Amino acid sequence: MTDTAATCPQCGEAIVPGDAFCESCGIGLTADGALPPPVAAQEREESFPVPKTTLSQAPGIADVCSDCGAEVLDDGFCSQCGKKAPSPRDHWQEAPVAWIGGVCDKGIVHARNEDAMALAGLPDRSLAVLVVCDGVTTAPESDRAALAAAREACATLVGTPVPQVDGVAATVSYWNGPLMRAGADGNAAAIGVARSLGNPAEPPSCTFIAAVLHHDVVVVGWCGDSRAYWLPDDAEPAQLMIDHSLGTELIQSGMSQAEAEADPTFHTITSWLGADSVDATPDINSRQLHEPGWLLLCSDGLWNYASPATAMQALVHDQVAAGRRTPVEIADGLVRWANEQGGHDNITAVLARFEPSLR
Amino acid sequence: MGADFKAEVFQNEYLADGATDVHAVVSVACSGAGKAGVSGDAAEIIIVDTSGSMDMPPTKIAAARRAAKVAIGEIVDGAWFAVISGHSMAQMVYPPHPGMAKMTGVTRAEAMVAVDRLRSGGATAIGSWITAATELFAQVQAAQRHAILLTDGKIEGEPPGTLQQALTVARGQFQCDCRGIGQDWVVDELRAISTALMGTVDIVAKPEDLEADFEAMMQQAMSRGVPDARLRVWAPQGSQVLFVRQVAPTVEDLSKRSVQTAPLVREFPTGAWSDESRDYHVAVRVPVAPVGNERLAARVELVVNDEVRAKALVKAVWSTDADLTTRIDPAVAHYTGQAKLADTIQKGLAAKASGDDRTATVLLGEAAKLAHETGNENTTRLLEKVVDVVDADTGTVRLKQHVEKADEMALDTRSTKTTRIRREP
Repeated sequence: MTDTAATCPQCGEAIVPGDAFCESCGIGLTADGALPPPVAAQEREESFPVPKTTLSQAPGIADVCSDCGAEVLDDGFCSQCGKKAPSPRDHWQEAPVAWIGGVCDKGIVHARNEDAMALAGLPDRSLAVLVVCDGVTTAPESDRAALAAAREACATLVGTPVPQVDGVAATVSYWNGPLMRAGADGNAAAIGVARSLGNPAEPPSCTFIAAVLHHDVVVVGWCGDSRAYWLPDDAEPAQLMIDHSLGTELIQSGMSQAEAEADPTFHTITSWLGADSVDATPDINSRQLHEPGWLLLCSDGLWNYASPATAMQALVHDQVAAGRRTPVEIADGLVRWANEQGGHDNITAVLARFEPSLR
Repeated sequence: MGADFKAEVFQNEYLADGATDVHAVVSVACSGAGKAGVSGDAAEIIIVDTSGSMDMPPTKIAAARRAAKVAIGEIVDGAWFAVISGHSMAQMVYPPHPGMAKMTGVTRAEAMVAVDRLRSGGATAIGSWITAATELFAQVQAAQRHAILLTDGKIEGEPPGTLQQALTVARGQFQCDCRGIGQDWVVDELRAISTALMGTVDIVAKPEDLEADFEAMMQQAMSRGVPDARLRVWAPQGSQVLFVRQVAPTVEDLSKRSVQTAPLVREFPTGAWSDESRDYHVAVRVPVAPVGNERLAARVELVVNDEVRAKALVKAVWSTDADLTTRIDPAVAHYTGQAKLADTIQKGLAAKASGDDRTATVLLGEAAKLAHETGNENTTRLLEKVVDVVDADTGTVRLKQHVEKADEMALDTRSTKTTRIRREP
């Protein structure tokens, strides 16, 4: 018997024994390929305990239709309107702690969800780890690469001892290394997916962005065009990174933002994770936060509809004004809004709340 | 225990942006049906036309006696049965009193003797025969109720509308296979019966062929171990079921037979099942959903005694990819052609009967083209007895000067028989 005979207990796809999660549906697995007991056994004996919500706690398939609210039958379709209930890979949310949360959604036009996210944090608000990866649609199986890379990068950051550092410079300097390692480990995970597929000519690949919010300092590492924004409640917002894309190169060559965004090559990324990446070394940027606000990481399925930081800030404020309070509620509002704009791509939005007074 | 049903869907689920009509062929196969009547819950009635014309020539009534006896021989012990002689009214042949008998060695022998005494005389009043059969079936507890009706003439001995009234009452009470002997009977009359009572209709042109036909019909009836089944079709809110049509082995529009059983659910009676497979063409008009959405257009279930025995899902996925949306499923295309072929033949023959040779030539030409294209060789052969096919590719035909009436009737009754699509490996 070969290893490939193992199958995921949730979705039935082939799994590699020893993997921490299924590359198809993303559910967490134990070493012998079974579903892990939730939460407790999953806590790592590393530098700090991370009560991390994973796919294993997401419901298998919703029992109520997301469109009309009627019952979803065993066949996976609504009993009234016939809408297909999304699979956990197509739509899920995570909230490891109350002040961190995200939603990852297939959108409307794409057939599968190639976005992925992985989140972790401490309840005392001293540390948040946010990772978003966006699979490259033109490379088959990129949904698996994105999920593997996001999970692996998050695990690397979670496994890093939390330093007793003092001062902005020391904090930034400390997290620089773990973020570079997280990118490298995410890259290795994406390459591992390609290997498991027999190294296809078009290997699965994805963008990468990870943010560590440590007290009042945010450090971001990224490859590609998944973005991080700092969106204060009552101050000037900022995009915390620059896309690795032909669009950026167009702008650097003198084109206006609007002109560049209209160019068909705007979205072509110039850095990514995967077996065919020529440079998977993340760029690093950092910022000290002073005001209360939201740290947002998102895929282009969201920022396509609200690219400038001011537009994104207004959008998040609209969600809050509409009564959405928790990070998951706001992320859900952002995803719904993007779907209302057409949902032309997969949509991921993850947020962490920063409150200076609580530090 | 019991029969095993399987359902399979053939469709292209991809719809272009804004498209609404979903077509699918659902193939239902039954295995392990067993035998009818083993536990005494089958009932069979043989209705033999004994009107005066059955003696002209006398070989007809003689063939009818032999055929009825062969059929009696096929009915399993323990089943309920009766033989009716049909003329201006319905008359009991066996048992002698109005009622049904249990099949045993004794009753079988008695029934054979009674059938031998059948004599002809009187008119053809098929409506009253159907009514008599309905009343007999009502007297017994039997899950499967089936009749064979043989006639050689058109209805003359009862007021117009009698047959329709009789069918309204009989519908759902029993299944009826109809056979016309000779060429003086009316295809439309027997087709009305077979359609209403979920049976078959065919011509037996030569009296000597009747025995084998009755034997096969009764054997088939006895092999239907599943007495009754329904096709349950769920379609989503805001949708419209355009039609549900059996397309193999014969074309039968089931839409008219359907009963709404729940807000989004209609059920279509399918009658009894033996080990066989039947194909259904389901067409649903669904509300438009945005590109990328996947929705269910229909749940198609085979239901026996309110228990779902097989289920097939008909889907709709909206896409902007023309490569996906423009493909037509081969099974759907094939059966759409076969249904059109049957319809075109029936309309063509009706035009010919009304003297409109021009329309008949066009329609039967179109039929010849369709039969040729879909490889329906049996229908091509039947058509060639009615028209001279000049060019099958273009559908150019000439009406034959001299056509045997029986050949025309054979084409009419058998026009609904379809060929199966070759399954792709």
